[in-house]
Amino acid sequence: MNEYLSPLWISLKTVLVTTVITFVLGIAAARWISRYSGKLKPIIDGAFILPLVLPPTVVGFGLLLLMGKHGWIGEFLALFNTTIVFSWPATVITATVMAFPLMYMTTRGAFEQVDTNIEDAARTLGASEWRVLYSVTLPMAWPGVVAGAILSFARSLGEFGATLMLAGNIPGKTTTIPVAIYFAIQDGNMKEAIYLMIIVLCIALASLTALAYLKKPKPRYRGLTVNPIPSDVLYTSRKKDNPS
Amino acid sequence: MLKVEINRTLPGFKLEAAFSVDGEVLGILGPSGSGKTMTLNCIAGLIRPDRGFIQLNDRVLFDVSQKINLPSRDRNIGFVFQNYALFPHLTVSENIAYGIRHHSRLEVSDRVQTSIENMGLDGLQNRFPQQLSAGQQQRVAVARALAPEPEILLLDEPFSALDSLTKEQLEMQILELRQFYKGHIILVTHDLAEAYRLSSRIAVYDAGKIIQCDRKEKLISSPANQKVARITGFRNLLPGTIDEVNDSNISIAVPGLGTLKAVRYKHSRLTSGMSVTIGINPEYVKIDDHPGENTLNGTLSRIVEEIRGFRCFFQLDDAQGNAYQLDAILSKSDKDIIPTLGNNVYIHLSSEHLVVITH
Repeated sequence: MNEYLSPLWISLKTVLVTTVITFVLGIAAARWISRYSGKLKPIIDGAFILPLVLPPTVVGFGLLLLMGKHGWIGEFLALFNTTIVFSWPATVITATVMAFPLMYMTTRGAFEQVDTNIEDAARTLGASEWRVLYSVTLPMAWPGVVAGAILSFARSLGEFGATLMLAGNIPGKTTTIPVAIYFAIQDGNMKEAIYLMIIVLCIALASLTALAYLKKPKPRYRGLTVNPIPSDVLYTSRKKDNPS
Repeated sequence: MLKVEINRTLPGFKLEAAFSVDGEVLGILGPSGSGKTMTLNCIAGLIRPDRGFIQLNDRVLFDVSQKINLPSRDRNIGFVFQNYALFPHLTVSENIAYGIRHHSRLEVSDRVQTSIENMGLDGLQNRFPQQLSAGQQQRVAVARALAPEPEILLLDEPFSALDSLTKEQLEMQILELRQFYKGHIILVTHDLAEAYRLSSRIAVYDAGKIIQCDRKEKLISSPANQKVARITGFRNLLPGTIDEVNDSNISIAVPGLGTLKAVRYKHSRLTSGMSVTIGINPEYVKIDDHPGENTLNGTLSRIVEEIRGFRCFFQLDDAQGNAYQLDAILSKSDKDIIPTLGNNVYIHLSSEHLVVITH
C-alpha cells in the first residue's frame, strides 16, 4: 500500500506548495509588468514565459547546472551545507518554474482587461497602490486569476521531465506520481501504474471542480442577483424582503 | 484657488495650459483631442506634465523646479470620469464609502447616507452599478467623488453618454451641487450650451492650447479670434476693413458686398483701417423685403427644415468672384417670406448682434 500512498503524498505536498508560490509570484510579476513600460519589457516578458516554450528536459538541465555542485546557487547553498539536487524542495522548484508562466500569462491578461479608469478612480479617492491591487484589480480580474491558478495547479501535478532531471527518483522522498507511473511501467508493474493513474484522475477532476466554484464572480449577493433586473421588479421584491 | 501652468509634449501634440479657478465653475470647452481630458489627468496626478506647476489652495501639487509631484491619493481631488468608472464589484454604498478614510464606521455610514440623500439615490444603496441606469450611475460617481470632501471637483464630459432628458435633470443637479459643495469645479465638455449653463468662466481649447479664457458673457460677445468664434456658434464670418469708428458705431466695409454697421462696445481697441472679421449668429440673420442699412444682397441656395424653424443658406457673391455663405435660422412663422430657391434676397444683419473679431 505504501508504494501508492508515498507518491500520492509527495505529489500533493509539492502541488499545494507550488500552487501557493506560483499564485503569489504570478500575481506580483503580472502586476509589475503591466505597470512597467521600460524598453526591457518584451525581454522580461519573454523570459517569464520561456519555461513554457522550452522542452522540460532543457529546463531541468538548466536548473541542474544552476543548482548543482558547481552552479551559482549550488555553491552558495553549499556554504550552509545544503543541497537542492535530489531533495524534496527540488520537486517544488521545478514545478514552480514550469507552472509559473501559465499563472503569469493568464493573470497578466486578466489585469490588462481591467479598465484603468477604475483603478485611477481608486487612486483619486486616496487608495494606495497596494489597496488598488487588492480592492479593485484583483476582485475585477478574479475569474482570470483563478483560471491561472487552475492551469498552474494542473501543470505542476503533471510535471515529469524537469522534476526527474533535478529531483530524480528517490522513493519516499522525490518520487511524485508521474515519476512513479513511469518507473512502474519500466519495471512491468502494470497494477501499480493503473492504480496511480486512477488516483491522478480523481485528484485532477476533484480539484478542477472545486476551483471552478471559486471562479464565480466575487460580489456578495445580499439577496440581490448580479444580473440586471428591471428596476421595478427588483425594487418591489427588495421591499417585500425588508418590510422595515 | 487652483493655479495651473503646465506643459506636456507628445509626438505630434503639445499641451500648453495656464489658468486658475477660484470658488467657481470653470468650463473647459474644445473639440475632442484638444487636450481637455489630459489637463484634468495632470491636475489629478494621473499624468505627469513635463514642465510647470499646479497649486491647489495653499498646497503645491506639482512643481518641476521644486521636484514636487504628489501622488493622486494625496491630492484630495474629486474626479468624475467620462464612463463614471464605478467599482462594479461594490454596491452603491460601498462605492461612495470607498474614499472616506480615517473615520469611525458610524461616521462613514452617516456620511454615505448624507451624500445618498443629497444626490437623490435613496433606495439604491445595495445595488451594484450594472443594475443602475446611466443617470443613476452618474449620480453615484458624483457622490463618490464628493464623499471625501475634495478641495476641487473635476468633471470629465459627465453628460456625454446620456439622453437629452436625463442630461437636463443631471445638469440641474450639478447646479444644485453648489448648495452643499463649496469647492472649485472644473467641467470639461464639447458642448457650448452645456458649458454656458453650468459655468461662470469658460476656457476654450484648440490643439492643446487655450485660445481664450473669459467670463462666459464676454466669450460670446467678443470672441478673441475666428477659431473661438466658430466654437462659440458664429457660423457666419465675413472679412472686412474698418472704415470709421465713432462713439457708438463702427462701420466696416465688406469688399464687394457693401458696408455694415456694428455697435461699438466699451474698451474696444478698434481703429479705422484695421482688417477684421465680422461674425453673426444664424439666429440674427433676417430676410428683408427692401434694401436698407446693414442689408446685403444674396441668393437662397438651400433650405433645411428643422423642428422649430427653417435653416436657410444664402450665397453672397462679391465682384471678384468669391462666394461667401451665410447661414440663417428662421422661425416657422416666416415661412411666407422665404423666397424660392435661387431667388435674390435682401439679408438684414442687425447691428447690435454683429461681432467684430480682430484676429
